[in-house]
Amino acid sequence: MKTNLLNKKRLVIGALVLATLAPTIYAASASANSNVTLNVWSWRPEDANAYNEIFSVYEKAHPGVTVNFQTYIATQYPQVLTTGLTGRNGPDIVQVQAYGRVQPFILGRNLVALDGKIAGLKNIAKANLAGSSGHIDGKIYGVPFATQTIQMFYNKDIFAKLNLSVPTTWKSFIAVNEALKKANIIPMSVGAKDTFLLPMISEAFTSSVYGGKDFQKRILAGDTTFEDPSYVKAISTFASMKEYMPENVVGVSYTDSQTLFISGRAGMFPGGSFELGFFQASNPTLKIGVFPVPPAPGAESKAALTPGYVDGSWSLNARSDQQAAALTLLRWMASKEFGQLFSNRLSQMSPIKGVTFTNPLLRQMANNYAKHGSPYLLITDFRWGSPSATDVMAPGYQKIFLGKTTPAELATALQQGISTWFKPKK
Amino acid sequence: MVQAQKVKKTKASPSSGNSQKRGVRLSKRATTLFVLPAILVFGVFVLYPMIMAFSYSFFEWHGTARGGFSGFTNFFTLFTREPYRTDVPRAFMHNLLIFGVAMVIQNTLGMALAYAIFHLRRGKRFFQVLYTLPYLVSSIVIGYLWSLMLSSTFGPVNRLLETIGLDRFALPWLGDPKTAIWVLILVVVWQWIGFPVLLYGAALGGVPVDLEDAASIDGANRRQRFFSVTLPLIMPSITTVSVLGFIGAMEAFALPYALGGSTGSPAGSTDVLSLVFYRVAFESGDSNGTGISSALATLLFLFIFGVAVITTGIMRRRQEMLT
Repeated sequence: MKTNLLNKKRLVIGALVLATLAPTIYAASASANSNVTLNVWSWRPEDANAYNEIFSVYEKAHPGVTVNFQTYIATQYPQVLTTGLTGRNGPDIVQVQAYGRVQPFILGRNLVALDGKIAGLKNIAKANLAGSSGHIDGKIYGVPFATQTIQMFYNKDIFAKLNLSVPTTWKSFIAVNEALKKANIIPMSVGAKDTFLLPMISEAFTSSVYGGKDFQKRILAGDTTFEDPSYVKAISTFASMKEYMPENVVGVSYTDSQTLFISGRAGMFPGGSFELGFFQASNPTLKIGVFPVPPAPGAESKAALTPGYVDGSWSLNARSDQQAAALTLLRWMASKEFGQLFSNRLSQMSPIKGVTFTNPLLRQMANNYAKHGSPYLLITDFRWGSPSATDVMAPGYQKIFLGKTTPAELATALQQGISTWFKPKK
Repeated sequence: MVQAQKVKKTKASPSSGNSQKRGVRLSKRATTLFVLPAILVFGVFVLYPMIMAFSYSFFEWHGTARGGFSGFTNFFTLFTREPYRTDVPRAFMHNLLIFGVAMVIQNTLGMALAYAIFHLRRGKRFFQVLYTLPYLVSSIVIGYLWSLMLSSTFGPVNRLLETIGLDRFALPWLGDPKTAIWVLILVVVWQWIGFPVLLYGAALGGVPVDLEDAASIDGANRRQRFFSVTLPLIMPSITTVSVLGFIGAMEAFALPYALGGSTGSPAGSTDVLSLVFYRVAFESGDSNGTGISSALATLLFLFIFGVAVITTGIMRRRQEMLT
């Protein structure tokens, strides 16, 4: 009886020891087979299927490598990312926002500098690399994944039905808005409840008025400020568009504004090129066109400018214990092959040279940007400190629509806000 | 008239004695074993982050890397630099407003509902469950559902008002600062009303029937019975509802976030301290965001903790006086 019990005890101990050793044995065998799983984090759950397809191309070419594409809701992503980059067992490659938003991670040494490590970076324009560069050390910390442009989408069927043509002057633009209004169609769909997109949408109207690159040069040199009459006029121009936006625009959410356009209740939609894929996927029968907003009277630029910016980049986690494998994947993500797959599958503009856009609308938007591009100033140059320009302008435009502030007051608030950290290069 | 003092004596002496006799005595080791998991969870998920946030607030941060000791600089920043100088006091006032209105409604309507349900002959459990349901659903879900229902573009609330001819009441509920804060408060109250209903219901069940009967025999009417017998006996529940309501209102995040976004839309009219914290820590891009947001979290904790301790002490003394 006693021997029996002893044997049972030994058996249990033996099983426990084996169970403890199992993971180690598995890990060792996995390592021997050089199987690698690379975790890639993103804030785009809606793009998960597309990315999985794209990464399957890489997996086929690199046997033993599995790319685990994990997505988080955009609003929760910042805190998830902070935890992931500062703790153990975090991701290997992360999608990070551009310009000022990536700086805390660069300063915190959470990302690896990629200078000299990725040959493909030479095929990306300097202006695009600026979005993923350290503001202090100037090093490159990410592979930019998309250039976004801000333009006006329009519903071709509605335009055809009302016999409207694409406006090329401010006068014809206002005439289009009036005609749509008269036909009981919301002229332009804007959601001002969610503040984060307001500064971006405004840029479609303001950049030509304040003068785009010329104004950028002057303000960076300290020759002017945001209180410049041209910038106040630019804010006024966007504010004057309220009458063509949905009723109670401050109560209209971003998703509601998208639905208004997709469902044909609104004739136009000012927004980023990233909307294109979503619009076409949500309503494949919707015939969409795009045009840059013509300059308002008295605008600094005679041409209709198309503002643009770098959306974000793919960066390497400094704490990743698979640096070599992650870097190899990142090199591929800087290649023309990846850029082409990305543009084809997600209808977005890859910044990698040589990538062609098969989507005709995307091509048109890229051409508009190439012809008369201008920087989305509020983030390319004024999102490096706190309060950032977008932090001031987002609630500021809401206040304008609610009649709680004036364009001149908002311009002053913007100048005062950025003056706490911005020093002109003079 | 039956006095509350007598009530306590009648109730307390026999029961306390019985419970002592009937209670199970555990060894020190067993007690420790039972308490240990809770202490561990509390230590890891509450105490440790709290202490860390406290320590973070005294340092300057470079992104996620800790810099030099900065004393109270981060605390001063909250009150001297824009946008914190404007955002923090405004958000604080909204927190207080949420607490004030929610407390009044929960302690009046909540108690009235609990009282009415308690005296129901049938359907008691049904109504208790009905009022508790929203409180059991995640605040973020509640918030998004209400924002959909109150949407001025596609929301059914305004469609219904328009259909029945009440067009002038079809307002941009979440798009006007005058209505948005009240919508937020009402949704908070709507979601949490089940908590006082449940708590007061249980407390009312603990009031001995013979005391109410005795008061009736003494000639007390319904109102007198409620205010002189029932109310003093359910005072501990009022303290619990008030203090937890205060903590909940000061920490409110999910509902304001779902209804007004991280900026407290429209134009900051639904902004609360937790949203300010969230913006500074995760959205501002401020390289010292960790330090400043930790300072705000520390101040918020000290305020909540201080007020909760003081209020609980005052309320307890008041209960003792009443009973």
